Amino acid sequence: MSSRSPSENFRRILGRVVQQDFVGRASELERIMVQAEPANAGRGLLLLMEPSAGVSELLRQAYDQLFNLRSDVIPIYFAITPHETTAVSAAIEFLNTFVQQYIAFRRNEPVVSNAPLTLQELLELAPPADLEWIEQLVESYNRLRFGNDDKALVRFCLGAPQRIPSGRGRAFVMLDGSQLAEYLNGAVVLGTEILRVFGRGRFSFVVAGLRRQILEAAHDAKCDFELLDTLRLEQLDTAEAAKLVEHVARRQQVATSEIARDLLVQQFAGSPFFINIFLQAAREKHASLSSYVDCERLYVDELFGGHIHRHFADLLEEISPRLDTRHLLIRLLWEAAAGEDQVSSFEVWRKRLHMTASELEDVLHRLHVQEFVNWSGVTVEAGAGPQAWKDYLKIRYRLDVLNEPRALVVADMLADSLKRAPHTMARHYKQIADAGLRDLISRFNTHRVPAVLFDYQSFTYKYKGADSDAVISGLAAETEFFKLPQTIHLASCAAFFSDMRQICEEDHCLIAHTFEEGSYSDAQQVIWLAADIKSKLEVDLEVTRAWCDRLENMAQRLGFTRFQIWLISNEGFSEEADKLLQRRRVFNSNRQQLGLLAARISETVATEVVQTSERNEFLMVVPMGEDNELIAANTAEQIAKRLSFRPEAINQIKTAIVEACINASEHSFSPDRKIYQRFRVESDRLVVTISSRGIVPANLNGANSGSETKQAAEERRGWGLKLIRTLMDEVEFERVDDGTSLRMTKYLRPQKSANE
Amino acid sequence: MDTSSSKLVRSHCVGTTAVVYASDYLNKLTGEKIEHECRRQLNCGCRALVIDFSDTKLVNSIGVSILLGIIDVAEKCGARIAFSEVNNETVQLFEMLGLTRHVVLAKDEREALMNLSHYETAPIVH
Repeated sequence: MSSRSPSENFRRILGRVVQQDFVGRASELERIMVQAEPANAGRGLLLLMEPSAGVSELLRQAYDQLFNLRSDVIPIYFAITPHETTAVSAAIEFLNTFVQQYIAFRRNEPVVSNAPLTLQELLELAPPADLEWIEQLVESYNRLRFGNDDKALVRFCLGAPQRIPSGRGRAFVMLDGSQLAEYLNGAVVLGTEILRVFGRGRFSFVVAGLRRQILEAAHDAKCDFELLDTLRLEQLDTAEAAKLVEHVARRQQVATSEIARDLLVQQFAGSPFFINIFLQAAREKHASLSSYVDCERLYVDELFGGHIHRHFADLLEEISPRLDTRHLLIRLLWEAAAGEDQVSSFEVWRKRLHMTASELEDVLHRLHVQEFVNWSGVTVEAGAGPQAWKDYLKIRYRLDVLNEPRALVVADMLADSLKRAPHTMARHYKQIADAGLRDLISRFNTHRVPAVLFDYQSFTYKYKGADSDAVISGLAAETEFFKLPQTIHLASCAAFFSDMRQICEEDHCLIAHTFEEGSYSDAQQVIWLAADIKSKLEVDLEVTRAWCDRLENMAQRLGFTRFQIWLISNEGFSEEADKLLQRRRVFNSNRQQLGLLAARISETVATEVVQTSERNEFLMVVPMGEDNELIAANTAEQIAKRLSFRPEAINQIKTAIVEACINASEHSFSPDRKIYQRFRVESDRLVVTISSRGIVPANLNGANSGSETKQAAEERRGWGLKLIRTLMDEVEFERVDDGTSLRMTKYLRPQKSANE
Repeated sequence: MDTSSSKLVRSHCVGTTAVVYASDYLNKLTGEKIEHECRRQLNCGCRALVIDFSDTKLVNSIGVSILLGIIDVAEKCGARIAFSEVNNETVQLFEMLGLTRHVVLAKDEREALMNLSHYETAPIVH
């Protein structure tokens, strides 16, 4: 069965967005369609959703696809909503929906799926071939409805799909929003009952809900896990989330910039739920989202009284319906999260909340299901949940518990959010940059690679100054090889020793559990300890020794009997350091060797060049590296010649541009690895702006650290900006939300001083 | 300008002086090639180096940094070094970054060789 339908005949029925606008869940949609295939008849699929990952539209899109396919699979979509107050009323609503959607499919009339119809009205619409069994279904229902057995009524309603006579199609039930099921009043626990009835119903189904709750309900219902498949529904990855922001913004007619888009993706951690409600709020408030300020203003509005506020307020009310307890809960949640030790005992919570043990169990269970806390039964760990939840808690605490003035809390939250935004992006860029080493080690799988890639000095001796083709052909002719092990587990050193976070970034120091030859025995098990040392120059003996000691010590403390240390630095290691590395049998590589190693393991992705121009302004985008700064410099030369700059001045402009491009490439964790250039021609001057996205370097204005000799060498490599200031008439950093933008102006004639 | 990253470094020896030719764009990669060649020549017994910039149109700061490294290496080996046929713009750059304090600038290769041979034949006074 294919999930693709001819778009010209495709009818949108329950989907709230057109098929083309539904982004980010293609593989999950495909998986649901597979579940509906005959091979999976009678099997169930549990969609285990991370809170705020969003599932409703996915199921509605699946419904539309199945309806349009017109196969023998009859899609039934049912969402439990907060309007249903008991398990009985929810089950009755399910029965009604089932009959309605069955008839809509059989009549091939999508409009019937959405119409507000009673069971009696539906009977009149039933096709003659189905009338008899539907009448019997309704009669049985009416008998049970007025009886006293709620459980029997619930089971009858939920089991209705199995009453479809053979030859009239197979029901495929998709149940959405069962996270609400447990909170319904009455004697019947709906979530458990649904899984019990569906699990024995001989029809295929999907039950979607919060992952912790669904798994628990499946165990309580004693489901046959042999007949159940699971699919984890997590937040979108960065690329898919960015696509979602673009699509939703277009649909909601909200103007956004790339910078704002990327911030929203990171700030909401790729949550489709938050992205959707945030952009909806932007449309309602006619807000455009072009800068960090635009985004954070709206975010703070949302926290204080918008959709985000209502979402969390509703959840808190569900978790703790009594106002006085809710007040105490907010206080405890915030104080526990903000405190040093986020773990406390059940008893501490009981005393603080003045609750009985069973009342507290109920509250903690709900907090645990929403993943706001991690509750083991004995201890409670606070501080979990999305950033928006933490911000919401903080403002509620300051307003409700500390009684601080609202204006002050609003201003503080806006300022804090704005200050956090560049850090959020910086963290993301660093993760991208660091992903290289993590990704590389995770892909070790008994590849055979030239041994010289793990020996910087040998590599330098053989290949320094050689062009890339010569290096590649040289490596191909190498006779000494090293067989990489197979990585089976990879984690940051900080996961073993939290104090490593103070020494280096999380992904700069990794521990990989590996097996040589892919053979799983004690003799073949080797633990790799890899560290990426940040340095613009060759790492000296002192630093190298410190890292060797640190990693060896770590290996001993963790009881690793066989281990291999691998040190990496941008520019490799000094000759003295090399002697130590050889003596201690430590692998060592520079960035170039790392890239070559990655290339041996997989293909690299090519970059693209884009160029556009306007009347007095030339725009150009070039990928970083590959001497592409020359393309920019040559373009500037052509433009400067038109303005009749002197050859000397042209050369100065070119050198300044080259330096600015090198700075952009060297100093930022650029996510797109591109340099954006704008050449603006005015009557008496040429204004060149060089921009790149990524992290603003802390030492751009000359700040430095480290030993004296190192400082001197680093200074040599930090001449770029000094040079630019000397070569150009005006040099200014423009304020941008993300990355750096350097504006350089060269006047056609020397500027006159103020005294002249 | 043709980027010459893929080209080899040209060089030849005149007596115990090596003449190494810089390419049209002196950056990290081409700078390292020159450095490699200069070290090789010094290891082979050369007592003086001429780096010729007749083809060089543009030099960046990393290139200059590498040239300073070459000057350091030459000094440690007791070898003298001269730059020849450096264009005006590059001379300005070298001046800005203090390179001209450490190296003899010559009009062309011939003048550089003459300057260095003068030093070579001068008696060493202790």
